[in-house]
Amino acid sequence: MPKNILLFSLQTFSTTGGIQKMTRTMAHALFHISKDENWNFRLFSLYDTRYDLMSEYLPSENYTAFNNNRIKLGLTSMTKSSNSDIVILNHINFSLIGIVIKFLNPRCQMWLITHGIEVWRPLSFIKRIFLRDYCDKIICVSNFTREQMMARHQCHPDKCKVLNNAIDPFIKLPETFDKPEYLLNRYGLRHSSQVIFTLTRLASSEQYKGHEQVIKAVSGLKQAFPNIKYILSGQYDSIEEIRIRKLIEKYDVNNEVILTGFLDDNELSDHFLLADLFVLPSKKEGFGIVFVEALACGLPVICGNADGSTDAIKDGKLGTAIDVDDLNELQNTIVEYLNKPLTFEKRKHLQTECLLYFDENHYREKLHKLLIDEQTA
Amino acid sequence: MISNFQDLSYRNTVVKCMCGALQHGGPDDEGIFSDAEAGLTFGHRRLAIIDLSSSGHQPMSDSDQKAWITFNGEIYNYLELKEELLKFGARFNSSSDTEVIIAAYLQWGIAAFAKLRGIFAFALYDKEKALTYLVRDSSGIKPIYYYAEDGQLSFASEVKALKAGGVAAETDPAWQIRFLAYGHIPEPYTTLKNVYSLPKGKFLCWNHRKASYDIHSYHVIFNESTIEDSITAKESIKKALGLAVHRQLIADAPIGVFLSGGIDSSLLTLLAEKERKTKLKTISIYFNEKTYDESRYQNLVLKQIRGEKFSHLVKQNDFEDFLPRIISDMDLPTTDGINTWCISKFAHDDGLKAVLSGLGADELFGGYPSFTRINYIKTARKYPSSLFKIANYSAFDAYRKIAFLTYNHPIADYLFLRGLYSPADISAILDVDITEVEDVLFANRKLPYVLNYDTQDAAWFEINLYMQNQLLRDTDVMGMSHGLEVRVPFLDEDFVRTAQRIKAAIRFDKSRPKKLLIDSFGDILPEAIWNRTKMGFTFPLQDWMKENKEITNESLYKRKRSRNIIKAFKNNSVHWSKAFALFQIQ
Repeated sequence: MPKNILLFSLQTFSTTGGIQKMTRTMAHALFHISKDENWNFRLFSLYDTRYDLMSEYLPSENYTAFNNNRIKLGLTSMTKSSNSDIVILNHINFSLIGIVIKFLNPRCQMWLITHGIEVWRPLSFIKRIFLRDYCDKIICVSNFTREQMMARHQCHPDKCKVLNNAIDPFIKLPETFDKPEYLLNRYGLRHSSQVIFTLTRLASSEQYKGHEQVIKAVSGLKQAFPNIKYILSGQYDSIEEIRIRKLIEKYDVNNEVILTGFLDDNELSDHFLLADLFVLPSKKEGFGIVFVEALACGLPVICGNADGSTDAIKDGKLGTAIDVDDLNELQNTIVEYLNKPLTFEKRKHLQTECLLYFDENHYREKLHKLLIDEQTA
Repeated sequence: MISNFQDLSYRNTVVKCMCGALQHGGPDDEGIFSDAEAGLTFGHRRLAIIDLSSSGHQPMSDSDQKAWITFNGEIYNYLELKEELLKFGARFNSSSDTEVIIAAYLQWGIAAFAKLRGIFAFALYDKEKALTYLVRDSSGIKPIYYYAEDGQLSFASEVKALKAGGVAAETDPAWQIRFLAYGHIPEPYTTLKNVYSLPKGKFLCWNHRKASYDIHSYHVIFNESTIEDSITAKESIKKALGLAVHRQLIADAPIGVFLSGGIDSSLLTLLAEKERKTKLKTISIYFNEKTYDESRYQNLVLKQIRGEKFSHLVKQNDFEDFLPRIISDMDLPTTDGINTWCISKFAHDDGLKAVLSGLGADELFGGYPSFTRINYIKTARKYPSSLFKIANYSAFDAYRKIAFLTYNHPIADYLFLRGLYSPADISAILDVDITEVEDVLFANRKLPYVLNYDTQDAAWFEINLYMQNQLLRDTDVMGMSHGLEVRVPFLDEDFVRTAQRIKAAIRFDKSRPKKLLIDSFGDILPEAIWNRTKMGFTFPLQDWMKENKEITNESLYKRKRSRNIIKAFKNNSVHWSKAFALFQIQ
């Protein structure tokens, strides 16, 4: 009998953040696993529209978009889920739907994906009930999130599995590792510039990304490293832009810091090539796909040591985790990296190592195993 | 044209055909350059404005023939760049701006592109590196269309040249859907399959050795803080616009100003009058139809001008005479541009080769109703989107566009503000399934932007969609059809950058449209010009088209829905632009 898998996502294609990227890769992997095994797979995406679909990840036959119509999603779920064997909810906000589906179809296996801050906090009554009584498996994107699920929500260790996120299967992986000329021009850089790079959403409501610390660190290092430049990228709101520009002035790094705003996906790999070091000393990354993307382009990374980021650097094998509140530690770690020239061989090595752990094939194998285990359980 | 599959004589014949199709925009000279080894042929039709001598002939190279260029447009800061390049030891054989682009490229590489201030689209071949660049100005004023398939690259300033050369003959089946929704063909699409316009501020780099290309933006990041107080904002605007007008008056051929009587063109006229050493020529249009006539306001400005004042009356029968030529000159279907075609014709007939136009100010300073209407979308988004399907049943034609709110997509938001026909109407007019219409309009059309439905979003829509796809394209193509270059000081790179640095609350002050611009020039702009109802540069086309026997001939229209729309148009319950769009797809 064919296996029916249903994946619920809040948003998959219409915006690009960590969770959305993870969902695209997961949908792509599930589609191919299902194709090979002759199973049925479908992605339900609540906020997306039909036109948002990026067909390289998934054919339209396997995709249903609900254009923010919750009632329609609720009704469709009830009918479609009656023959589902595995239902995967990609966000805890689907708890109510999970409860209803499980009530109507108790034999289905109910999985929940947990990412980061959405579950590292007290949960509502419905979400708690769902976790306790209706959810069969919790897929955590990092060991840190798994620990949080057990400690904060008393989830049983056997129920909580870790499945680290993977590199986007369609990211342009570099082969030559040259710094792109057009970006050197855009930012007024020289080949001798030592470029630190941060890419993250810069929202005034999310003050945990740590870019402020990097600005301070760059200010402290600019004397010793006269060629230092800091490229700070990601969409910002106007309040955050004004705040950052004031910080740049306050720490006297107007010549060092380059605020780029939104980065086009097509130029993502080229920015990793342009840089000598990726730094995101964040406190609340569930996993941090951006770290593995940087590593896949041969770019060393510095991340925080108190969240899911440590999984992305394989506990120090691929990068360095630091105490993000300790400015000295941040500065010293940056200095260590900048003092060692980033050669072609180093970049190639990092890329190979990263792909070994985080390429999509590896992810697909692990996911496949989880699905098979479910069947045999 | 770049192709290793076609021999030299074939390429030259094709490029010659393409040049022939563009003769109207370049009446002064023609040139062809070929490099047999690279499989490359450049063609050029020249409209001579700077360095009218034969030393400005194109395609042009540096004296060592390291790089070749075919260039359309003007570089306003070429004298400053030339001075800088001379210090680096560059040598020049002409006094043209074209040669400065080559020298700048040889000196600075691709970093040269961002140093150019002007309206331009060019192809530059670097012989040594075996690379050809197609480059377009940062405001997208000059167009460049390309076809890059099967290891070959062809490009031209108008789509009709690619068609004439037989480079791309296949029609894009989706063009009619796009045209009926937008009222024009939005970039990067055209009526031809696989023919695209190069996005503004980008360059396409063709690698001759690999026969492949990539496209990147050449903009330079400036670390500039937001202007948060209105006094600095006004001073910056004043200084930057003054500089833009000063720069753009550079020409060795006669130059003038389009004067409509509105704030923007009046301001440019007054600023140009202050700048220009020789007397400024102005071109205006007026009508017998009193509701459209702005001559009273034009005269208020003209009183302050010393130079020649060309004023032309346009009547219904002129429109009848001009219409067939307007349609054949438009290159891509459009529902606008009739006004620009007419005024460009008069400017050309009056001996001008370049004019300044006030285009761009409404978009930069909130001069359109969309700056307030965007709030409606914000409110509408609080309700279930399927609710707006009801608009498809509206008896009032103007309300049918509300159906765009059914779609949770930024392009649908834009089309609600600026669109022509709703998807249901398009489906009925073209007899295609509505899902096909929806897919053409919304699939794979992402905006690099998150919408908050505020004034900045309205500006984004107006600048990047309406102005880019409709106003700028029509202005360039209609101007060039008369060998006239239309310059747009409000879109000067530095002026736009200055305007965009100003805090939204000041730049889009809600108390009056374009308040910041008016306040910045309160000392020279007569109150009667700014303290009046906005009219826009509008013709009495509702009346004129109703009188036109072709447009109103119902038997011309194949489907019943179209015939009904034309009937309604004759009863005045449908806007002329909708009738004109239907007329063009028959």
